[in-house]
Amino acid sequence: MGSLFWIQTAGLIRDTFREAMARKIFWGLFGLSTLMILFVLFLLRIDVVEGATATIGLFGFERTRLMDVDRIVRGAHSFVAAFLYSFGMFLAVFASAGLVPAILEPGRIELLLSKPVGRAHILFGRFAGTLLVVTANIAWLVAGVWVVFGWKTGIWNAAFLWTIATTVFLFSVLLSVVFLTGVAFESTALSTMIPVAMIIVSPILAQERTMVKLMSSEWSRQVWRGLYYALPKAADLAMVTLGLVRDRQADWWWPVWTSGVFGAVSLAAAVILFRRRDF
Amino acid sequence: MGDSCYAIEANDLVKVFRTRWRRREVRAVDGISLQVEPGATFGLLGANGAGKTTFVKMILSAVRPTSGCAKVFGRDSRSPDARLPVGYLPENHRFPTYLTGAGMLDLYGALSGMSEAARRRRIPELLELTGIGKWADIRLGKYSKGMLQRVGLAQALLHDPKLLILDEPTDGVDPVGRVHIRGVLQTLEQKGTAIFINSHLLNEVELFCRDVAIIHKGRVALTGRVKDLTRTKGFRVSTSGAPERLRDHLSAKAAAVASLNGSVQFHFATIEEANEAVDALRAEKCLVESLTSSASTLEEVFVRTVQNG
Repeated sequence: MGSLFWIQTAGLIRDTFREAMARKIFWGLFGLSTLMILFVLFLLRIDVVEGATATIGLFGFERTRLMDVDRIVRGAHSFVAAFLYSFGMFLAVFASAGLVPAILEPGRIELLLSKPVGRAHILFGRFAGTLLVVTANIAWLVAGVWVVFGWKTGIWNAAFLWTIATTVFLFSVLLSVVFLTGVAFESTALSTMIPVAMIIVSPILAQERTMVKLMSSEWSRQVWRGLYYALPKAADLAMVTLGLVRDRQADWWWPVWTSGVFGAVSLAAAVILFRRRDF
Repeated sequence: MGDSCYAIEANDLVKVFRTRWRRREVRAVDGISLQVEPGATFGLLGANGAGKTTFVKMILSAVRPTSGCAKVFGRDSRSPDARLPVGYLPENHRFPTYLTGAGMLDLYGALSGMSEAARRRRIPELLELTGIGKWADIRLGKYSKGMLQRVGLAQALLHDPKLLILDEPTDGVDPVGRVHIRGVLQTLEQKGTAIFINSHLLNEVELFCRDVAIIHKGRVALTGRVKDLTRTKGFRVSTSGAPERLRDHLSAKAAAVASLNGSVQFHFATIEEANEAVDALRAEKCLVESLTSSASTLEEVFVRTVQNG
């Protein structure tokens, strides 16, 4: 790929960043992440930091043994990971849902399409820009919390950093849905509602074994299984991340590849739809 | 670049819009074929809904043709590369208001494939050229409509295009601004840039364009050089005090006769007939007040074409 491609890609990503800044998306997420880090810093009181004799106070509980401190740190890391998978993911979807319909506005899209940039390139540039905005904030929050705990307790749980990769991965899958909905309906509301609905139904669908036992008809079992297998597995990915943070074995391959396929298909559908549309 | 020597070459372009459930069809463009030569100034005219904007969007690949094809400097218009030498200013543009004038030019310059160094050099030049240099670092949300039009023109010119497509370029611009923009376009014309103007301002097109096409109901109703379409249509002989017998004689030969403040105007189709009338009047010692050619304006040509269509 020539320099033209990279100049255009950098331009598209920079524009997404600027728009995210102007809409206060970037600063909003950054502010919340920073508040979270400060909250953890405020809660965490250390009296002595000397290996096994360390005393740590968190949420009013005092612990002295290294084993207990380690458990508390991993627990707090799990709390942050769970926060990211639930509240954080909702926020990221809310924040980014308007970025696709924005470029499809009449008067703006014609100008974009008049430039020597392919339609798929425009969409991927926007996708990469949005992903970068959210990745920067997730990385800031996770790395910030990790540094605060490491600095205060001396326990540097590197597995916690996997949270960056797994949450960004889940967000990229949901962002594909945001893009598909945005291109198909040009509606910020729908671009928000559909991925959020997927996050909400994910833990319900994840109870597949239990639900299949409770269902009377084979047809409804197949529907349940079909939905579970096809839709992104936010709940399963959250469990994988919590397992990694707590240093437990987790079956990560299944939810990753099925969710990845869903994201790839959604993004491909968005590109096909975008290429076929008249503006 | 391909073999074609045309800046724009459209061959039997058709665009049919269908309603959501495909029950109704609207033929917005119904077989338009036209060529624009490199370096030409071309005006596209048509009533509202005639298919002008759809045609332009097909040239820029924002709208996919139902059938037919279009080429830009010999390249299929659907290829992004075909748009490398094209600058475009859309009608009712909506530039990102979070960007400054310079920031907007930087974005569209990058999308046009300009390197950072080239953008840094060209952006101040273009802002000065379009008369908004002092507003470079102000957000576009603060710009007036006329200023947005100017910065829009600057983005279209930024990468030094060989073909400039302008949709209502002076819309919302004050008279002084219009003259300024016309001056900028004339400089480009002298440099050999092909300029394609889609406008309903017939006077502007008549003043600036060499060639014109009138679109009506999705088809090219008339095309040609502006000077040919508006060439002398007839001759008017104005006289006073001609005897009734002579007046009747000339009225029989004239295409039309009009009386105005005691003068009689005879309209003749050819210069020979007009001269014969002058000879007859002078033989009777009648006063010939004037002999003038009567030309049709582009507006008259347009109205006639649309009404007859």
